[in-house]
Amino acid sequence: MMHPGLPAAWVETVLLAVLLLTAWVLRTPGYHAHSTPTISLANLPGMGSMVRAIVSQPWIQLALRLIMVGFFIMIIVSGLFGTPVPERNAATVLTWTLWWTGLIIAVYFTGSAWCAICPWDALATWLVRRRWWKRGNASSSMNLRVPKWMRSIWPALWMFVGLTWLELGVGITTNPYATALLAMLILVLTTASLAIFERKAFCRYFCSIGRTIGMYAELSPVAVRPVDYDICANCKTLECYHGTDEIEPCPTHLVMGRIKQNTYCTSCGACSQSCPYQNVAWRLRPTGTEAIRDVRPHWDAAWFILGLLSLTSFHGITMMPFWEQWVRSLAVVINDSGQLLTSFSIGMFVSMLVPVALYAGLIQIAYRIVGNSTEYKRLFSSLAITMLPLAFTYHIAHNLNHLLRESRGLSGVIFNPLGQGTLPLSVAETHFRHMNPLLSENVIFTLQAGLMLAGFWLAVRIMRSRITRLSADSLIQRMISIPVLFFLSSVTLFNLWLLMQPMIMRM
Amino acid sequence: MGKVILKIAGFFILSIGIAWALPAYAHHVLGRPAYSLNEDSNTPPSMEIETQVGKYYVSMMAFPAFPKPGQRGRVNLYAVRIDNGESYDGSVTFTAREDSWFGSEQEVLGTQPPDDRVYRQGFAFHKAGNYIVRAEFESDGEPYQVDFPVRIGSPVPVGPIGLTVGSLAVLLIGVNIFQRRRLQRIRASQYHAGKSSSKEST
Repeated sequence: MMHPGLPAAWVETVLLAVLLLTAWVLRTPGYHAHSTPTISLANLPGMGSMVRAIVSQPWIQLALRLIMVGFFIMIIVSGLFGTPVPERNAATVLTWTLWWTGLIIAVYFTGSAWCAICPWDALATWLVRRRWWKRGNASSSMNLRVPKWMRSIWPALWMFVGLTWLELGVGITTNPYATALLAMLILVLTTASLAIFERKAFCRYFCSIGRTIGMYAELSPVAVRPVDYDICANCKTLECYHGTDEIEPCPTHLVMGRIKQNTYCTSCGACSQSCPYQNVAWRLRPTGTEAIRDVRPHWDAAWFILGLLSLTSFHGITMMPFWEQWVRSLAVVINDSGQLLTSFSIGMFVSMLVPVALYAGLIQIAYRIVGNSTEYKRLFSSLAITMLPLAFTYHIAHNLNHLLRESRGLSGVIFNPLGQGTLPLSVAETHFRHMNPLLSENVIFTLQAGLMLAGFWLAVRIMRSRITRLSADSLIQRMISIPVLFFLSSVTLFNLWLLMQPMIMRM
Repeated sequence: MGKVILKIAGFFILSIGIAWALPAYAHHVLGRPAYSLNEDSNTPPSMEIETQVGKYYVSMMAFPAFPKPGQRGRVNLYAVRIDNGESYDGSVTFTAREDSWFGSEQEVLGTQPPDDRVYRQGFAFHKAGNYIVRAEFESDGEPYQVDFPVRIGSPVPVGPIGLTVGSLAVLLIGVNIFQRRRLQRIRASQYHAGKSSSKEST
């Protein structure tokens, strides 16, 4: 079953805007990022004291965690004991249609808040620390340091590649049983990590979901930050980092007074609960400020962003009708059988390789332009952040289709999570669902076009800021901006083309 | 600069033209079960799997999709060559075995000739569980095997739950024992260190 793609009129409008923006940026490539106004919710008149009370008390978070764990158990029970029909089972519908698609959209509005109520972490913490929320006994975990070679987000990137392979290749999104197995496997990994390594190594280094959220949260207009930076600057005790007798230390080794980017913040609330000055709360800032001004380039983070960009587009590619033709043709050539997983894996590898090779090649051109003033690796890492808005906005635009078209019938699944006595959707029902999304098609198309344009605009703003830091010479800035703009506009164009195509729905 | 902008604009226009020219086709996910209501009945659903094996494109269908223990069901198989679209016309042998991690006995369900190019095999499983029905045939001297999962009744999947709970229990108990021994070692070394320092002071 397929649904229509983005109409040509919208695509033309976005293309025109992209062209105009490109022309404008080529004229004035440099840009000095100025400080932008931010507002701490704790300072808002009327609701400030309420915000401080909420973030410093663990009860609300505990209640939300209990609710999420309830859903988690329901998903496992439904997956193992319920119907194998994916559209009738809570395991597949809640996990892939509602949570996995909605989560990416929610990151924009709530930053990394999901991690604070993550059921895997909640269950692992309760099992290992044997406390609902207070600081656990130090002897409950072996507290080993994570080996140096694993102290990066490479493990999370490989986990993300593996998850995508399972999702699109093996097809766990349409298999309730496999969905439940995956949920349990992640629980075992989370618990093992917490029992063996210090603090929450799984959240910081291994969790592909958390690191994806962390990366995207760099663009979010909300973040957990100090209410008053001066208080943090004068703080000598650093309860946020060390914790207190009652409250856990920061699970990802962050010091609130020095935090500049959301990448590793899990919004767990330990800092806001342990701060003796109640100086930590949610802060509002303009979209993308962090990526434009504060995010420091890192080699592993650059590769994670490249991975996000290629894998989000790959999600779109696999839902195109031509994808299976390619996989089948390749299977004939290499004599692949059954589910054609080898052919799929090769296709996935090539799909990931193309944007990487293109980016690496264009950075090579930029490197030659800059001369010996900077290293290739630094240039690669510095400019990789420009791709983040493109990955994020396409991810949201793509997920809107899943969320709004496949979520019909959610109430039926909630009231009958195991799908007992239900039948598969008939062709007519499936057609009705896909053609009657929760929001009107025109609204979806408008949002998708707006997202693509916003992504390009934000990417261009980040690029201008980055190249200004790389060189003060306006000619060199202009020269560097050409290959980078070519890459950004090519990706935008490709993602637009993907959105234009009739897309095959999962269930 | 104007030339650069013109070239970028040209690239966009060319690319969008190519995009519009590409046709769209229907889609089916290979190797994954699809549940549907079909012409056999408007109530019990059937399960279909389409797959590609060697030179053949194979389509298998089980009806009903979720038979109960003792209930009669049917598997249909249809195979066409990928290169010329000709349907397979030899015989197909159907076997069944339990889908378990540990090997189970395989039972021959029957060998079927084509019936209007479709191979139809009846079955009835008396015990609830997950089974694999395998279709085997030979073409151009090469053996072909296609597996098809059939779920009878509602088997209780204690395996994954047991494995998860068992792994967690082993892990937590193991860490606990390790930590206790480590603490004992630390206390013992502190005790000995304290003893030797008190001797030195006296």
